[in-house]
Amino acid sequence: MSGLANVQFWAFVGVVAGIYTIFALGLQLQFGFTGLLNFGHVAFMAIGAYTMAILVVKVEWPLWLSALVAIAVSMLFGLIIGLPTVRLRADYLAITTIAFGEIIRFIAVNQQTLTGGPQGTINLTGAGRASSYNREWLDFQAWAQDQLEVILGDHATRDVTMLVLVWIVAIVLIILLQFMVHSPWGRVLRSVREDEDATSALGKNVFSYKLQSLAVGAAIGAIAGLFFAFQFSFFSPQDFDPLTTFFAYVIVLLGGTAKNWGVPVGALIFAFIFAGTRFLDFWPLSEITSADRAFLRLIVVGLILIGLMAFRPQGIFGKKEEMVLE
Amino acid sequence: MSAPERNGTILELSDVVKHFGGIAAVAGAELDVRRGSITALIGPNGAGKTTLFNIVSGFYKPERGVISFRGERIDRKPPHAIAKRGLVRTFQITKALTKMSVLENMMLAAPDQPGEQLWRLVVTPRSARAREREVHQKAHEVLKLVRLDRLADDYAGTLSGGQRKLLEFGRALMRDPTMIMLDEPMAGVNPSLGLELLDHMKRLQDERGTTFLLIEHDMEVVMNVSERVIVMNEGRVISAGPPDEVRNDQAVIDAYLGTGRGSGESTRPTEETPPGEGETA
Amino acid sequence: MNELLQLIANGLVTGSIIAIAAIGLSLVYGILKIVNFAHGEYLVFGAYMALVVNVTWGQSLVLGALFAMVMTALLGIALEFGLWRPIRKRGAGIVSLFIVSIGLALVLRNSILLWQGGAPRRYDVDVFQVYELGPIRLSLSQIVVIIVASVAIVAVGLLLARTTLGKAMRALSDSRDLASVSGIDTDRITAYTWILGSALAGLGGVLQGLVQNAFEPNMGFRLLLLIFAAVILGGVGSAYGALVGGLVLGLMMEVSTWSALPADGVDAVYKPVVAFVVLILVLIFRPQGIFGRARTV
Repeated sequence: MSGLANVQFWAFVGVVAGIYTIFALGLQLQFGFTGLLNFGHVAFMAIGAYTMAILVVKVEWPLWLSALVAIAVSMLFGLIIGLPTVRLRADYLAITTIAFGEIIRFIAVNQQTLTGGPQGTINLTGAGRASSYNREWLDFQAWAQDQLEVILGDHATRDVTMLVLVWIVAIVLIILLQFMVHSPWGRVLRSVREDEDATSALGKNVFSYKLQSLAVGAAIGAIAGLFFAFQFSFFSPQDFDPLTTFFAYVIVLLGGTAKNWGVPVGALIFAFIFAGTRFLDFWPLSEITSADRAFLRLIVVGLILIGLMAFRPQGIFGKKEEMVLE
Repeated sequence: MSAPERNGTILELSDVVKHFGGIAAVAGAELDVRRGSITALIGPNGAGKTTLFNIVSGFYKPERGVISFRGERIDRKPPHAIAKRGLVRTFQITKALTKMSVLENMMLAAPDQPGEQLWRLVVTPRSARAREREVHQKAHEVLKLVRLDRLADDYAGTLSGGQRKLLEFGRALMRDPTMIMLDEPMAGVNPSLGLELLDHMKRLQDERGTTFLLIEHDMEVVMNVSERVIVMNEGRVISAGPPDEVRNDQAVIDAYLGTGRGSGESTRPTEETPPGEGETA
Repeated sequence: MNELLQLIANGLVTGSIIAIAAIGLSLVYGILKIVNFAHGEYLVFGAYMALVVNVTWGQSLVLGALFAMVMTALLGIALEFGLWRPIRKRGAGIVSLFIVSIGLALVLRNSILLWQGGAPRRYDVDVFQVYELGPIRLSLSQIVVIIVASVAIVAVGLLLARTTLGKAMRALSDSRDLASVSGIDTDRITAYTWILGSALAGLGGVLQGLVQNAFEPNMGFRLLLLIFAAVILGGVGSAYGALVGGLVLGLMMEVSTWSALPADGVDAVYKPVVAFVVLILVLIFRPQGIFGRARTV
């Protein structure tokens, strides 16, 4: 697959960037605004996707209800994970949240009857019978595609429709989050990030605010999980490994900690690098095997993380004075 | 509010003990603070004064002892709950929220903000907005009082040490507290402004019956403004009474001489001296 | 009963590997100020260094293990001088340092993947020999691991307890600031600590590769969480704590599968989850661990 001008390819990249934007927005609230070094964020994506799929396929609830419940369940898990961890120092919180994320993944892999096991949601109704949670979504998407055709004509393909849908949600979320972080509530979060003792000395329940931040971030992560589920029609536990959370950190740090509008920029840059190196075939990339390219990409990701911390911790849009990474 | 009764006890400590490692930072402290008074807490370095503040304000849990504020036990309560009950403290090493503006620092401090609760933001946005406007206005007024109003939109991180002390004081005022515990409020503050602050303290005491407990090293301030002085040494309260009595108390003189410092020595920490030199935690 | 004894033996095998790696992690904690997320990759590095000697060059695994320890020590020193020290000098805080360690982990792991690929590899040893000691059956690999680990642990224990260098290392691992204040040449001791900590990690990697029969570069991350749990259980900053924590954790993980327990014991696949649960419980109820001093965690 080559050709920079392939609209469908870039639409797909845009969808993935959009999903990552939503995912990273949840992390931005927890980490960027509240200072919680949550490294288990992918668990919320997984819980959102799996809860929805299980409710649709096994309990046979309508999609809209399953999706809402999935978001609520994810928020609940945010609270559960938060209860023992939010009091911890940053690096302990990080590793403990990773541990929680791994527990979720373990359960997803091993509780075959609940989650379909390692093969993923295709096995939700038992091995050998391909099950799908997607039907209602595809109907909705077809409807949306029809509406879109009025404006875009032939260009309104499935991927383009998804692109529009994902980004509408992403932008709505950014606007909502901007409102929230500039409110008094957001002010408390930012103060918690900077100095918990000063914040509690001023009468604010730091513990409660941290939990709230985790829960809201978890809800947003779940929304990302839902879109992931709809885009790919089925998923399995290995789609939700810690690497996904690392990517979200790169996106948040690139765009700028505590800069909501920086997140889509970071996501687009990230998606561009990834997709570009994955699918484009010009030299020297053509000399390297696909597997090796994957490893190289991750080395680059690691170097970006180190480089950002060393040279530009405020990211693209952050301000040095507001740098809370010390 | 009726004229504040001056003789009631608003804060009472009984047998408060706190160890760090093997050392007793506070070894059985007993004291009481009278409602509506200005009381000074003094003592040589390492006496445990800031530790006591941390315990009373809920940042440390004592191993033993009872602390009552307005008749209610607060020794097991977390800091935010104590602050909500009207007992506010400032910090010896200032805690300005440096990445936020001076104005935001002040607005954060205000109590009863419906906008701070997410569900209220959504359900009752108008009352949230109204209160935010109130808080905004009050913040500007208090900033004017502490002479920081022209810096309202600057990052608090750009403030000097003395200015940060003023910010802490201003933040405390935002809460309309019943009692304020000030940890070295004058450190690094220029003298004339310091006098203004003392005036303001007295005015608050008169008009609202606000109680003040201050840790101070500057003996002039202590003698001039406080009605009562409590002296700590090595984790215990060794003397308490009117300034003149305390200054002549042999135990107090010994305590100060014993650590190589003369009593009555005016030690006004300048901006260069880190406030609160070396008190253990 | 026999099952229990077998599980205990298995637990000692698992636990001693975790202990060795955990001691290393604990020692460098005081230098780094953070728990090094890349530590798991040091183990992998060691495992693959030994692989080169043992399989590519056809030498004995003993030589491989020694080579692994040397090379991992060099890696540790190189990273200290090339990465950690410069970043520390910029005054990086905990959050920055942790994110850097994540980046480092990605670079290390994927470099090894790039170099050796992701297919499982194994050492050139006879894995089929099984010995019976009473009711317990152990493979040669497991016996070797126990012996080597015990020797290493005793050696390290003596070093830490009896020598000046060891005492300085312990002081440093507990608190860099306190150590420098008490007159310890922190730069020199830092270098030695990295050498010891990294060498132990390398050895741990070889032993784990041996016990696992087949290993690949992603094993580092899986081990890291267990190592971390051991360090927390034992008490951060305490090398002895890490030792005890590792052994206890290994035992807990294995014994939890004992069929005499309610619900027939934990399912073997969930053994790591046992470690995670222990980690979480310790952090809730006794964050300083067994030997740690009460401190902000």
